[in-house]
Amino acid sequence: MKGGRMLLDSLAQLLERDEREAVLGDMAETGESTGQAVWNVCGLLLRRQLACWNDWRPWIAAFGIAFPFSFPLMGFSVSLSLTSLQIIDPATHQITNSGVKLLLGKLLLLTGWSWTGGFVTGSVSRRTLWVSALLALLPCCFCLSRFRIEHLHGFSLLLFLPPAIQGVRQGLRMTRLRLRSAVLVASATTLLTVVPGIMTSPSLLNLALSWPAWYLVAAAGIKRRGTGEQHA
Amino acid sequence: MLGEFEYLLITAAAGLGHEGYGAAIRQQIETVTGRKCSIGALYTTIDRLESKGFLKTWMGDATPQRGGRAKRMVQVTPEGLRAARDFYETVMRASRGASWVAHGWSQ
Repeated sequence: MKGGRMLLDSLAQLLERDEREAVLGDMAETGESTGQAVWNVCGLLLRRQLACWNDWRPWIAAFGIAFPFSFPLMGFSVSLSLTSLQIIDPATHQITNSGVKLLLGKLLLLTGWSWTGGFVTGSVSRRTLWVSALLALLPCCFCLSRFRIEHLHGFSLLLFLPPAIQGVRQGLRMTRLRLRSAVLVASATTLLTVVPGIMTSPSLLNLALSWPAWYLVAAAGIKRRGTGEQHA
Repeated sequence: MLGEFEYLLITAAAGLGHEGYGAAIRQQIETVTGRKCSIGALYTTIDRLESKGFLKTWMGDATPQRGGRAKRMVQVTPEGLRAARDFYETVMRASRGASWVAHGWSQ
């Protein structure tokens, strides 16, 4: 039964502290077997997860950001990697100014898209974050297994992940940005999308990648208006 | 209006008074209904009723027979009592004239 006890303790760790305390105490008091206790905790965890999905936010995080964003962000990661190979002029073997500007522009855009996507995902779907993470990583594994581009390592597909993970971490802590910071990030991301040269053409799909940034602006604006009304 | 299980939970908690907490409410529901009550159903319903303002909960003392773990104490609010009374009256009104009420239950 030692394995069962370990399983029960591990599952109980997924509950919030007070709830874990109450549930494990109740089961100890009623003398439930380890098997029954595991079954009960699984049932509670399942109900808690299902209850989260009654809200619109986990759906937006999983199917509005995590899954659909991973494909274009992988594509843009590869584009950034290819640009990094082309900044040296083959004739002179010198780094070109235009190449560096293009590389910096793409790097900023990729960071902006990934970070804001991660931030919104982390802030609106704390309890269902594992589903969003899974939905973002599945396409990565699929593309990584089929990646064949000369001179590029497979991991160049995943350049968007570090800023996205950082965004998730900050989203879990902060929930929303200040209005000024949010407007700055959203404007910069959108402007970089329409700057000629960085993207081959500013398509609707590329502009759509900026929606989490504008969501942050809206969330910060609503918060600020609420605070203003409270003070009034 | 309350659901059937919500009504059972509020009634059990109200009956237990200051002794109302997870395990005691669960035992009371199982005794009254003769059916198993899962911990998942119990705690998610407690949360739902608390968010509606029908229950108030807080963490109580730890006891040795609970392995030193605290209880989640439950108290029914006046709104909860009103909701339970409304449910009861609705069921009584709806049952008036029903064959099993008029002639008594026989198999």
